[in-house]
Amino acid sequence: MDIVDSVMALLFVADAPVTAESLARSLSLGEGQVEQALEVLQSRLASAGPLQVVRLAGGWQLCTKPDFAEAIAVFLKPQRQRLSRSLMEVLAVVAYKQPITLAEIDQARGVQSDYSVRQLAERRLVQEVGRKPTPGRPVLYGTTQQFLHQFNLNDLTGLPKLSAEMKDMEAVEAMAQGEKDEA
Amino acid sequence: MAARRDNQDSGLAVVTGLGLVSPPPIHIQAPTFEGSLATLLRCVRDHKVQLLDVPLMPVCEAYFEYLIQSNLADLDEAAAALLALSYLLERKAWALLPNDEPEPEPEEPMELPEPTVGEYAPAIEALRTWHDERSKRFFRSPDAGPEPYELPFTLANVKVEDLANALERVLRRAIPTPVEQLGRPRRSITEQMRIVHAALGTEFKPLEHAIPSPYTREDAVYWFLALLELIRLGRVHIRVTETEVAFARA
Repeated sequence: MDIVDSVMALLFVADAPVTAESLARSLSLGEGQVEQALEVLQSRLASAGPLQVVRLAGGWQLCTKPDFAEAIAVFLKPQRQRLSRSLMEVLAVVAYKQPITLAEIDQARGVQSDYSVRQLAERRLVQEVGRKPTPGRPVLYGTTQQFLHQFNLNDLTGLPKLSAEMKDMEAVEAMAQGEKDEA
Repeated sequence: MAARRDNQDSGLAVVTGLGLVSPPPIHIQAPTFEGSLATLLRCVRDHKVQLLDVPLMPVCEAYFEYLIQSNLADLDEAAAALLALSYLLERKAWALLPNDEPEPEPEEPMELPEPTVGEYAPAIEALRTWHDERSKRFFRSPDAGPEPYELPFTLANVKVEDLANALERVLRRAIPTPVEQLGRPRRSITEQMRIVHAALGTEFKPLEHAIPSPYTREDAVYWFLALLELIRLGRVHIRVTETEVAFARA
């Protein structure tokens, strides 16, 4: 049985990103062999056919090429859920500052964000990741695999770098915190 | 002492949840502070920068340069910058003048334009672009297809009677089920499967040796049901000897 075909068959039936390790285990092959097969498959599909292999949310998945998006959208009539400005703001704050409490999100935005956080949790873009060991043990929020998947990211390191001003701000805050601690 | 506007950020008037416009990304370069006007405003507001040490001349210069360069394309943005500037001037004036009274805190500190969200603007735009790109790709739906195909499992020479005998032997050794405690959590077969799978080793052993003693009839039944499910899923192997049935992790 051809390794590349086997890998494609597994990716075809998978409804979520699959890691190379998982593919290797299922096919009783080495991870390196599977990685190689994935590369071959990727280039093979890139040159022909409507499908492509993408690296997403920490794994590999088969999907259609963007060229066919319109035809598929007409056929499936997907209900697109656009994220509002406030939801995007909260999502960005959580993505960069996670794990983060609701109070910290409120502080960063200057407005209450509980409704937005609830909305994002319902859309499975953020989730509770623990509790902060401070009085009241507030819930800490972080992004989900679904977030990576929906935003075309393989992992959080793929997030765009924040502006230099933001880093300045963080440095100033850290310095101020240090001074406070010393006092 | 120069001022510049980041091309990437130009024209980004960020409206906060309060309907206020964040100051535009005016870059300030002064001997004791380098960063955006928004950052300076926030630092001063939160008492993280000593405004007395920051000359306001470069700040004003940067503001005027911004006004000239932007050609007043966005009045809201220009007004937000002016508001930030006047706030800084007022605070500095208060700090410079001899006054015994403590400096008044703004009654509603949150009414000041919130600059932080503005700093995320490029990231938000990038995320939105990626979201749009991603929406052009279609993936297999999680609920696609009928019931999944199940791998056939083999019991080799093990008969159903052998399994029934194994259960009977275990039940004979079980202690009576104690009176149920109030609020006792419900047990699930899935959870029990995890326990059984963890308890079984790679060496074959009979069921009564695998279950931690003492156990109740209920425990025994749960163990047995979990074992059957694990056998069906191919995660437990089963072997029959002359006298008993033995199980091992696959």
